[in-house]
Amino acid sequence: MRSPFAYMPRRGPLQSASPGAAVAYLGALVVVAFLYSSPLVLVAAGAAAALAGMLAGARTAVRAGLRMGLSLALLIVVVNALVVSRGETVLARLGDWPLLGQVDVTAEAIVAGVSAGLRAAVVMVAAAVYSACVDPDRVLRALRPLAGRSALTATLVSRLVPVAAADAARLRDAARLRGPGAAPAGWSPLLRRLLAGSFDRAVDSAATLELRGYALEGRGRARQSSPVGRLRQRLSGRSAEPRSRFDGRFYAVAAAILIAAIAAKLLGADDFHTYPMVRLALGPAAITLSALLVASGLAPLRGVSSWRGDRSSAPRRGSRASLRWFLIHGREGKGTPREGTDAFARATRGPAAAPLPEAPRA
Amino acid sequence: MPDLATRRRAAPALAVEALGYRYPEATRDSLAGVSLEIAPGELVLLAGRSASGKSTLLRAACGLVPHFHGGEINGRVEVAGLDAIATGPGELASVVGYVAQDPETQVVSTTVAAEIGLPLEMRGDSPPTRARAVEEVALALAIPHLLDRTVDSLSGGELQRVALAAALVTRPRLVLLDEPTSQLDPVSGDELIWLLRRLNEEWGVSILLAEHRLERCLAAADRVVAMAEGTIAFDGPPRDFLAWAQDADPVLETPAARLFSLAGIEPLPVGVRDARTTIASMERGAGPPPHSTCFGGAAGAVREPAAEEVQAVRRGSGSSLRQPSLVAKGLWVELMRVDEAHDVLRGLELTVRQGERIALMGRNGAGKSTLLRTAAELVGSVAGKIEVPGGIALLTQNPSDYMVRERVGDELPGDAGLAALRLVGLEHAVDADPRDLSGGERQRLALAIALAGRMGGDELPGLVALDEPTRGMDRARKADLIGLIGDLAERGAGVVVATHDVEFAAEFAERVVLLGDGVVIADGPAKEVLSGGWYFATEVARVLDLPGVVTPEQGAAALEAP
Repeated sequence: MRSPFAYMPRRGPLQSASPGAAVAYLGALVVVAFLYSSPLVLVAAGAAAALAGMLAGARTAVRAGLRMGLSLALLIVVVNALVVSRGETVLARLGDWPLLGQVDVTAEAIVAGVSAGLRAAVVMVAAAVYSACVDPDRVLRALRPLAGRSALTATLVSRLVPVAAADAARLRDAARLRGPGAAPAGWSPLLRRLLAGSFDRAVDSAATLELRGYALEGRGRARQSSPVGRLRQRLSGRSAEPRSRFDGRFYAVAAAILIAAIAAKLLGADDFHTYPMVRLALGPAAITLSALLVASGLAPLRGVSSWRGDRSSAPRRGSRASLRWFLIHGREGKGTPREGTDAFARATRGPAAAPLPEAPRA
Repeated sequence: MPDLATRRRAAPALAVEALGYRYPEATRDSLAGVSLEIAPGELVLLAGRSASGKSTLLRAACGLVPHFHGGEINGRVEVAGLDAIATGPGELASVVGYVAQDPETQVVSTTVAAEIGLPLEMRGDSPPTRARAVEEVALALAIPHLLDRTVDSLSGGELQRVALAAALVTRPRLVLLDEPTSQLDPVSGDELIWLLRRLNEEWGVSILLAEHRLERCLAAADRVVAMAEGTIAFDGPPRDFLAWAQDADPVLETPAARLFSLAGIEPLPVGVRDARTTIASMERGAGPPPHSTCFGGAAGAVREPAAEEVQAVRRGSGSSLRQPSLVAKGLWVELMRVDEAHDVLRGLELTVRQGERIALMGRNGAGKSTLLRTAAELVGSVAGKIEVPGGIALLTQNPSDYMVRERVGDELPGDAGLAALRLVGLEHAVDADPRDLSGGERQRLALAIALAGRMGGDELPGLVALDEPTRGMDRARKADLIGLIGDLAERGAGVVVATHDVEFAAEFAERVVLLGDGVVIADGPAKEVLSGGWYFATEVARVLDLPGVVTPEQGAAALEAP
C-alpha cells in the first residue's frame, strides 16, 4: 500500500527545482504561519500551500494533508475550548470535570484554538507537498557532504519506513487469515514480530549499502573538490550537479513572501487578539499580504500551454530528456514526428552546419 | 613489469581455493574445501539442492562472507586479482556485482535513477560520468523508461532488472546472481536469462548464476557447478552435468533430460532447441546424431496421442458433479496504484469445485493474488460477487507472517490446534520454536494456522488456497508439497495454487486457469492448457509440441514406438 505522501516523480517545476529552492519556497509559507496568528493570513498561507501542491500534481498528498491538518485543527479547537476558560463570551458552562475543574466554553478560546489549529494545518499541508514533490534522494545527496553518518541514517530510515508499513500490512492480513482455532495474533506478538522483521530489513539494507560501496564514500568524496571548490564551481555556473531553471523563481517567491510578511507585520497586519475579547483588524496590509500569499501558490505553474490538459509523458521538445524519448519513440517530444525530428536535428547540429529548411505549415 | 590493471585483466574473474566457512554459532560448515575458477567471459550455472552452500559461495565471492556475516573462514578467494577475504565488499564493488533472490531487499533509494547511480556516487564519480553510465546500463537492460519512476511503483520483474542494473553500472568483471528468477513469471524469467547471456557475450562480463529451475538457464550456460553439502560435487559442461545428475542426483535433472532418459535417448539435451534437433533428426529417419548411444524407438518415433486420449483430457474427471467451493460471477476488483484506481479483476467468471486441484497462472500483475485475497475478504469487490460456501484457508506468499510466537504449541493450542498440526504432519513439533523448523515445515505450520478451527472433525474448509508456495524451493521440497496438496484435495477441499512454476503446475494440477489482465483467458485440464503455448508451457510440451503431453512420463510414453 503506497503512502499518499510518498514522493512521485513528475516533470513539474516544483519537482524539477533543487531541494534548496523547494524547501525555501515551502519553508517561507511555514515561517509565515509561525509569524502570524491572524486567521485570514493563515488561511491564505494554507491556500497557497494547497494550490502549489495541486499545481504540482500532488492532489492525493494535498487531500491527505488537508484531512490530517483539519482533523488536528479540530482537535486543537476542542481541547483549547475545554482547557482554557479565559474570555468574556461564555457560550456554555459544563460544570465540574475531573482533572479540568470548572469548564466554561468561551468564544475567545474557540477562536484561539482555530488560530492554533490553522497554523498546524498550514504546516501539515506544506509538509505533505514537500514530501510528495521533493526527491528524497536529492535531499540526501545534498546532505551527505555535510553529515555523512546522518545521511546514512536518513537513507536507511527513508527506505525502511515504507517497507515497515508494507510489512505491517502483510502481518495484519496474516493475522486476519488465522483460523479460529489458532491463538489470536494479539498486538504485542505482532509488534514484536514487526520489530524483528524491521531489524532483518535493516540488515539487508546495510548489506546492500556495503555492496554498493558505501564504505568507500569518504574516499570517493576526497576525489571530488573541497566544499569551497564546489561552492566556487556553483557560483561560476560550472557545477556538475544539474540545476533547474525554476530555482530562481522559487527563491525569488520565497524572498518576496518573507519580505512582504515582515513588512506587513511591521505595518500591523497581524492585529489579532483573542483575549479578553476577539479583535481582528482587516486592514489593507493584511488583505494585501493575504492576496500576495494566495498568488504565491501559483509559483509551480509551468505555463498555460504546457500544463493545461497535457497528460502525455513525452518530454518537451528541446529538453534533455527528449534525446532519450527520441531514441525510444523515433520522434522528439510532443508534436508531429516531422516537427520532432527537425527539432532534434536542430538541437544536435553544430553551429557551423547549414540551417535546416523550415517545416511546411498547414 | 605489467601494471596492476593489466594483471587484473589477465586474472580469472573468480578464483576460489580450498575455501571453508562456518556461520557464527552454526554447528557445521557451510562450505568445505571448495575450489573453483571462473575465466573472464564465462557464464557458470551454480546448481544444487536447498542449503547446499550456493548462496554462501556467492556471498564469499562478493565479500559479504566473512566481512558482513562474520564466522570462521579459511582458504583463498580472489575476484579479478583482489583478495576478497582481506578486502571488504565496498572495495570489491568495482569488480563484482551481486543480485539477491528478493529484489525488495536490495533497493535503498527512492527513484530508479538514484538507485542505479548510487555505486558510482559512492565511488566518487562526477555527475556527468554517472549520468552517462546510468543511461548506458538502462539502455542495455531496456529500462530507460523506468529511470524517473520510484522503486516502489515497479513490478517484481522491473525491480529485478533495476537491481541488475545497479550491479552492472560499475562495469564489474563478475556478476553474481542468487536465484534471480524465483519470483518472476515465466516470461520475465526467460527474458532475464537471455538478457544475462547477451550481456555476457557483448560486455564480456563473467556470470555466476545460482538457480533451482535449471531448465530455464542450462542452455545459456557455458559450464555447470553442482554443490552438495558445502562441497563441489560436479564441475563441467552442461551436457556432462545432465549425465552426472541422472545417476548422482536425479532431483537436479531437467524435465527434457528426464524425458530423454525415460525414453532411452542420448545424448541428454541441454535445452528445448537441442532436444527438438535430436527428435527432428529421428523423425527424418536420419537416426540419432553421431554421439547418440542408444535410441528408444524407430525413426518417426514421436507418437501423436490418440484422439480419444485428448478428448478424455478435455472432459476432465467429472468434477462438475461436485459441490462448488468458490464461485465468482462478473467479479470486478479495483486497487489503487500510485495515484489512480486500476481494475485488477475485470468481470472475472470462475467456479472451483470440491476436490479439484487448480493451478492459477498468469504473468505478474494478472490478478492471481487479488482473486485469492478477494475470496478471503482481504479485498472488497466493486461489482459482481464471489462466494466461498465452505469457507477458505489462505496461505499467503510469506508463511513466516503467520508465526508470531516462539513455540508451535502456543500458536495452535487445544484440540483444534492439534488436529490442524496432525493434518499437516507436524504433531511431533509441538514444543519446537517455529524459527528452528525447515522452510517446508514452516510452510506446513502456516497452513495449519490458517486451517485451525475451520475443520469440522476431519473435514476441511471448502477451499484451500496457496499463493506462490514454491518460491526458492528445490524439487525435493516441491514433491513434498505436491503430496500435501493431493492429500487436501482427497479430503474434499478445492485446492487453488497461484504459481509461476509451470513444471510444478503440471505435476500437481488437474486444471489450469490462466489469467490475463484480470480476466480468465484459458481454463481447462492442465495437460491441455500447459501444452498449448510457449511461455505457459512445460519444457516437455515445448520439446514435443503434442496436445496433452506435459510431463516427462507422458512425453516418454508418446516417444515410444507405435
